[in-house]
Amino acid sequence: MQLSSSLWVWVGAILTFGIFSFLLKDNPFYKFCEHLFVGVSLGYTMTIVTWSTLWPDLFKRLFASPTSEVSIGAKLLLLVPLALGILYFFAFVPKVSWLMRIPMSFVLGWSAGVIIPSIIQTSVLTQAQYTVLKPGWMLQDLPRQMGEAWNHLAHVKGFNSVSDALLSFLWAIGPPTVFIGAVAAVIYFFFSREQKGLLKPVSGTGIIFLMVGFGASFGYTVMARMSLLIDRLQFLLRDWLGVIR
Amino acid sequence: MAEKKSLWQALAGIDRRIVYLTLLVVLVVPLILSLGLSVKPMKDVSQRVRQVFEQVDSLQYSGMPLMISVDFDPASKGELQPMLYALLRHAAARNVPVLVLGLWPNGVGLAKTALEDVGREYGRQNGVDWVFLGYKAGIDAVILGMGENIARVFPSDAMGSRLDQHPLMQRVRRLADVGFVVSLSAGTPGYLDWLLYAQSRYRVRMATGTTAVQAADAYPYVGTGQLRGIVAGMKGAAEYEILNQQAGFRQASTPAIDAMDAQSFAQFAIVLLVVIGNVGFFVAGRRRK
Repeated sequence: MQLSSSLWVWVGAILTFGIFSFLLKDNPFYKFCEHLFVGVSLGYTMTIVTWSTLWPDLFKRLFASPTSEVSIGAKLLLLVPLALGILYFFAFVPKVSWLMRIPMSFVLGWSAGVIIPSIIQTSVLTQAQYTVLKPGWMLQDLPRQMGEAWNHLAHVKGFNSVSDALLSFLWAIGPPTVFIGAVAAVIYFFFSREQKGLLKPVSGTGIIFLMVGFGASFGYTVMARMSLLIDRLQFLLRDWLGVIR
Repeated sequence: MAEKKSLWQALAGIDRRIVYLTLLVVLVVPLILSLGLSVKPMKDVSQRVRQVFEQVDSLQYSGMPLMISVDFDPASKGELQPMLYALLRHAAARNVPVLVLGLWPNGVGLAKTALEDVGREYGRQNGVDWVFLGYKAGIDAVILGMGENIARVFPSDAMGSRLDQHPLMQRVRRLADVGFVVSLSAGTPGYLDWLLYAQSRYRVRMATGTTAVQAADAYPYVGTGQLRGIVAGMKGAAEYEILNQQAGFRQASTPAIDAMDAQSFAQFAIVLLVVIGNVGFFVAGRRRK
């Protein structure tokens, strides 16, 4: 064990305990750490944004660059984003707070124009194309994949062969399963007709797929949270206490 | 007088402090004892991580740079920082040039530290082997702008040197000159923004390293080939470190591999607690009837 001699490691360790103290109950030490974190984060963000974007792209070009570098026309053009940015601050003046809508409408318009076609292309059309077409391509390959799975099983040499066989099998049935799952899950959210007759078992299948999806997400979430905790424990045990390498 | 709880009722309502203490023990003990349990079964690294490794590996032949977008902040450091180190070490070992930028302002410091650490380990030179572009506000405008001209979006690097002074940037003008993009993503902005603007519009080849929470959302894009692989969570980072080890690359530390023992124990403890809680709940409920 070799206790750290760095002041900042000690500060980090004490603040870590401050945040963890919330696990017992809410307390002033936790509140202090929480507020400190929010304040430091915000200050850091503002500094980075100012020196990486606002100063070099706006203020420096507008006020500190000679006209040989940035032309008068370019400087006049820069007044537009400056004015739009200033209008945001009118949110704090109730009488003229409506002026804030001007930059908001500009940002919303730009975002909608840029994002909507991209989302349709990336998250709707390509995904739908894959879901509909891939099972067909994969079915043509199904006999080969099944043969591969069988080969793994026929030459079982312990756990790895069984897991390889299982992987080949899952790889083969994956795309058709995605197709069935997508259709069933969409039908589950089809509320225009009472879910009876053929709709009932299909939407029931959809629920199963949704539950499997939620389960997978939960498993991943647990792993994520544990990873963050492990990172903090590694910091305490390695950097602060020096009990692990 | 308070009614005495049955054993099943007690199991269904275990005090949260006992749960925390159990987790603390199952995490700390494997970290201190370093059992090395989890690395052995992972010799079969998942296909998705191997795909990312192979894409980065292939850049040594094309000479095109790897671009890493650090889209996380210290809150996700535990999961994504090991990926950043593993990717940088892989690129350094294969002499692949690297461009690093960030869409999250609070990730800039983490990226700079990692670049400097790996730069020292492998003797990499700023401007020749790597360029750190830093952070620029704008997300979609930043990515779209780089598709046309990187130097117009980042006239200078994070240290203030003009971009056109770097030898590496003489042959990298726009995203099309980048061989492969990896977005280390903890949320928004992240891999989805790269997909929407870089992959969809400029057909950039890309993959993502995500927090485990995001992994389930990202998988559909791997299936379609829009993402050429995924490194998901700490397990994915550990697998990438294993691939680096298998390739014989120098690694000063392997934080994700070191953490996997504790991770496995914690997962087991959580499953056990979920089972115990549910058994207690159902048995106690049945007895009440």
